[in-house]
Amino acid sequence: MHDLATEVVLALRSGDHLATVCGAAGIDEDNRTGIAAVRVIGADLLLPSVLHGHHPHPGDIAVLHRAVREFPPRPDASDAAVWSHWGMMSALHRTASATAPGADEPNAAWLEGAPWQAFTHQLSVLAPLAVPAASSAVHRAATHRVVDLSRGFVRAVRRRNWLQAAGAGRWLAALEGRPDSLGLDRGLDFVELMGGTDPRVALHVRAARLMAEGRAR
Amino acid sequence: MTASVAAAPGGTAGAALSVLPVVLRRALGWADAHRAGFVLPEDVLEPHTEVNRTLKPLGELAQLCSTISRSTAPHTPEHATANDLITFAWDQVHAGDLLLELLRGEPFAAYPYEIYAAFAGFGLRNECFERLAGTLSATRGWAHTEQHANRELGLINSERRVGTAPHTDAGDVLARTWLGGLSEPWMFEGPSGYALTHTVFHITDWCCVPERMPADIDAYLRAWLPPWIDGCLESRQWDLTGELLAVAAALPGPPPTDLLDAAWPALATAQAPSGAVPETGPTASPAETAQAASSGGADPDPYPFLACYHSTLVTAFAAALSLKRLTTHPAETAAADTGAAV
Amino acid sequence: MYTTETTATDIELDLDEALNPGEAEGFYRDSRECAYLALLGGGSALLLSPPTPRPKKG
Repeated sequence: MHDLATEVVLALRSGDHLATVCGAAGIDEDNRTGIAAVRVIGADLLLPSVLHGHHPHPGDIAVLHRAVREFPPRPDASDAAVWSHWGMMSALHRTASATAPGADEPNAAWLEGAPWQAFTHQLSVLAPLAVPAASSAVHRAATHRVVDLSRGFVRAVRRRNWLQAAGAGRWLAALEGRPDSLGLDRGLDFVELMGGTDPRVALHVRAARLMAEGRAR
Repeated sequence: MTASVAAAPGGTAGAALSVLPVVLRRALGWADAHRAGFVLPEDVLEPHTEVNRTLKPLGELAQLCSTISRSTAPHTPEHATANDLITFAWDQVHAGDLLLELLRGEPFAAYPYEIYAAFAGFGLRNECFERLAGTLSATRGWAHTEQHANRELGLINSERRVGTAPHTDAGDVLARTWLGGLSEPWMFEGPSGYALTHTVFHITDWCCVPERMPADIDAYLRAWLPPWIDGCLESRQWDLTGELLAVAAALPGPPPTDLLDAAWPALATAQAPSGAVPETGPTASPAETAQAASSGGADPDPYPFLACYHSTLVTAFAAALSLKRLTTHPAETAAADTGAAV
Repeated sequence: MYTTETTATDIELDLDEALNPGEAEGFYRDSRECAYLALLGGGSALLLSPPTPRPKKG
């Protein structure tokens, strides 16, 4: 999982359109533990291609397909698990691969009534859904609660929960309407320097920067 | 153990109002029952006496009770207790004569003036003190006292209370504070927290004149008080929680009801049955409290005066302000919690 | 040795935890003050100000 996240970060940094994340991390379709790691990193496996605007490596697509099939949400799965699974299918669908029909969105009602602290925690866990031009009910919920997410970012930094701060910061970079006084850019730099040894933190911060640059253009 | 706000983050409507009357009554009752702790020692004017253990608590008693008095309705028991405590404190300083002696001993110190201003703001004056203090506060040296910006705002507010012209423009000084700079809210911690609460206390005359708060600071505080208070509750910084709640109750316009409903029940869990609120950390169990009482003083009091008086007074102060705001601005809260546009 | 089946179950349980983790406990630590280059030894009197810091218990 950490190796995989590290490879995504490297691919985000390089922008190399030939990069295969799974290949670099030594994961192929027959490696069940590796596929499980892909299930955890979810749609972010394709993030470098999404943010750099090129086609994903066929090997990565194949492994992601495999993870979708291999680890469907169980009947008692958490909302977060259901949504991250949907996020993988949605990412595959956006690659225009014929084998991945768009799936119906799960329910996002559980987010509506969540207090801002729990809301931020959940959104941070679902940070792979924070990608440009990918609308979802989770995205819409985030759009409606930007101030709550901003508060959650502040709370996460105060608690030194760098991973949650990075995930919340990634959402905020993708959305309009955060209070200017938040100081998100410096905040993300800070979170990266404090917690960036965790490749998942580095991944979210890098994604946030690329999305902010994309929005500025 | 105490419930953190993270365990019950939302707070239900009316939750603050359901605990505030008891919190206020108990905290003020504790202060009333512990007057002995505020009594000045015989040697209070001697150079070796620690002012932080003697004059500081007494000045704070007068200051915070003055706001409590102004925030409570006449004929309520809390109003009467607050007024009694101010009278008690004024007696302790011999109607200002003791503060004059203090000033004669340390004529270039600012703190006698600040303590005097706590009383002057309530209409208790001493002509001789003001004659000497007025001469000193007209000097260049007074105007150039070197100190933190939030402390300088305290001095300016004291000057305003005494009725002398402020030695400098408050707006310039405010701009130099952590709060006035609209600092990145994720940099909040204990020291910046106390700096910002005191900045608000001084610009709003101890929360009695919320209208003096600039609009950008109002919006900034509405946006960021919720995560700051959440962290103080989780880390059991009860004293700073109380100060931040006083700030929340000093915002001009409608009160941030959601925040008050979420935070007050959590702070209430830190209050002992005696009314005492510790500055930080876990509260004493009922068994510890009972044991200390039954041992006839052999066991240490789990709520020693010097470790509790500040947080208990602050709790009473914040509770009186919150009660006033919630009862005079019922349920017009649509825009109060959003903190948009900063 | 694990059978393939138990391994699958273990992976799925780990997955549940990884996909829906609880919140990590908060870690709080405030800046200290160091009197380096301060003009006055000891604290100067701060009236009507935050409580005098005391050593934290437990």
